[in-house]
Amino acid sequence: MKATRVDRIATFFFWILGMISVGILFIIVGEIFARGLFIALKPSFFLGKPEAMKEGGGILPMIVSSIYLAVLTLLISLPLSLGAAIYLAEYSRGGKITRFIRFCADSLSSLPSIVFGLFGLAIFVVRLGWGYCLISGAFTLALLNLPTLMRSAEESLKSVPKTYREASLSLGASRWTTVRQVVVPSSLPGIITGTVLSIGRIMGESAALIFTTGTFIRKIPLNPFQTAAPLAVNIWYTQSEALVPDYRNIVNGGAAFLLLMVLVVNLVARYIGKFYRRRKGLS
Amino acid sequence: MKSNLEVENLIVEKDKEVGKEMAKLGNKIEIRDLSMYYDSFKVLENITMSIPCRSIVALIGPSGCGKSSLLRCINRMNDLIPNSKVEGEILLDGENIYNPSCEVIELRRRVGMVFQKPNPFPKSVYDNVSFGPQVMGIDNKKEMDEIVEASLKKAALWDEVKDKLRTSALSLSGGQQQRLCIARALAVQPEVILFDEPCSALDPVATQKIEDLLIELKENYTIVIVTHNMQQAARISDITAFLLMEVQGEPGRLIEYSDTNKIFTNPSDYRTERYITGRFG
Ligand SMILES: Nc1ncnc2c1ncn2[C@@H]1O[C@H](COP(=O)(O)OP(=O)(O)OP(=O)(O)O)[C@@H](O)[C@H]1O
Ligand SMILES: [Mg+2]
Repeated sequence: MKATRVDRIATFFFWILGMISVGILFIIVGEIFARGLFIALKPSFFLGKPEAMKEGGGILPMIVSSIYLAVLTLLISLPLSLGAAIYLAEYSRGGKITRFIRFCADSLSSLPSIVFGLFGLAIFVVRLGWGYCLISGAFTLALLNLPTLMRSAEESLKSVPKTYREASLSLGASRWTTVRQVVVPSSLPGIITGTVLSIGRIMGESAALIFTTGTFIRKIPLNPFQTAAPLAVNIWYTQSEALVPDYRNIVNGGAAFLLLMVLVVNLVARYIGKFYRRRKGLS
Repeated sequence: MKSNLEVENLIVEKDKEVGKEMAKLGNKIEIRDLSMYYDSFKVLENITMSIPCRSIVALIGPSGCGKSSLLRCINRMNDLIPNSKVEGEILLDGENIYNPSCEVIELRRRVGMVFQKPNPFPKSVYDNVSFGPQVMGIDNKKEMDEIVEASLKKAALWDEVKDKLRTSALSLSGGQQQRLCIARALAVQPEVILFDEPCSALDPVATQKIEDLLIELKENYTIVIVTHNMQQAARISDITAFLLMEVQGEPGRLIEYSDTNKIFTNPSDYRTERYITGRFG
């Protein structure tokens, strides 16, 4: 009797806590959409050219910058992190080297992103002479992204049942064949989900890019060595420095559009995971 | 060579005592003075046994006595466990598989394995069976189709899956999955197949099917099977090995190794008798 009551009160208590976090999320998303969604969805805005002085500018080059940057960053960080994850999950035997790699990755992931920005400025922009451009930003973000991507790939690889590996090896497959043909395909949903989620983080990153990609442009960047202005950075820039009279509209619309992009990316990540699992007959 | 083996088989069937004597000439596997360790823990000590060509050898014994460990020595699956160590030798057709010159990949092709829990890959039925041959480098579609069909037929599964070769193997029943795993092992044309309690997750009907299958496979393959089921060992095996870890923490030893008939009717060791009549383990 008493236990049931305690149980009920506890359930209610945790329900409230859960609802609070859901509520906060809704308030933030609602607030941003209420302020900016109607601006963000105007074609003249999201397909328009930015203005330096006048009002009525759009954000197309910024959107392109964000997407371009995400693609470049993944091209750099995905092979590296996947390789490292395969080493950690499949080859290493948990010795000193493994612990050292983990320690470095964990340290790297706890650094504030502005530090990465300053590092990128010193190395890619100045030392290598690439200047403010997409490729400088992509390398900087790849460093930032590497530990998380590696860890999520490692977790997905490790979640593949040992019995699959045993089956493959017992058929005379080499270690590498087993990894390539059995382990990686089975962990693909997890790897893809982790990757797509990191796209969301790339698009939302600003501090690491202020000193590496540039903050404002008027033309769509085509060459990766061209200066760019990812949306998140541009929002910060517009709010704090821009001269356009309608900067508030641009910030609100830009924020709403950014949020929309990240939401879509996250939904895609979930969908891909589910789709794969169903196709493999895993659930 | 072939007629030699045929004669050998006949004799094994007709008269097991004489067969064993003959079979010594044509042992597929000889385990000599094998000891095995996990770290410093010795699991197996001084195991010596000869496994004749085209016979079924059953490994029985209480849980934890090292049956699986011994089985996994034969195709060197224990290599995967860090800090496992093997002393002594295992000869496959006279060649020590623990020689540094032995190719483990080649060895595992010759010595296949079927596990306790059915473990098909999360791929289609067809892709499961074609996995081994494809890894071996067979890429001719027609040849592959033939191998897949032949393997599934040998595993007595063809009729049940011939219309769903492209569906996920995970949608099959447990018994079908286990036969699929057998088909997958057969597809690389091994000489020896190791079974680690292949029926422990299956119902009696599925178990019966696998047992019939094993007896059929004996015609062409050498089979070593770990089982907890005394009746199963008695029904299907030619030779039975009884392993026992007498005191917890001490290594498992081979207590008795002889004809299945003898082990189950007239064991020479009192511990074998006690185990078989169910007094411990
Ligand atoms: N990877 C491992 N590391 C350390 N010890 C192990 C490992 N695998 C097995 N052992 C130990 O070795 C002993 C023998 O294990 P094994 O699995 O070979 O027994 P078994 O006879 O197959 O038992 P069961 O009938 O329960 O399957 C057990 O005491 C077990 O705890
Ligand atoms: Mg076992």
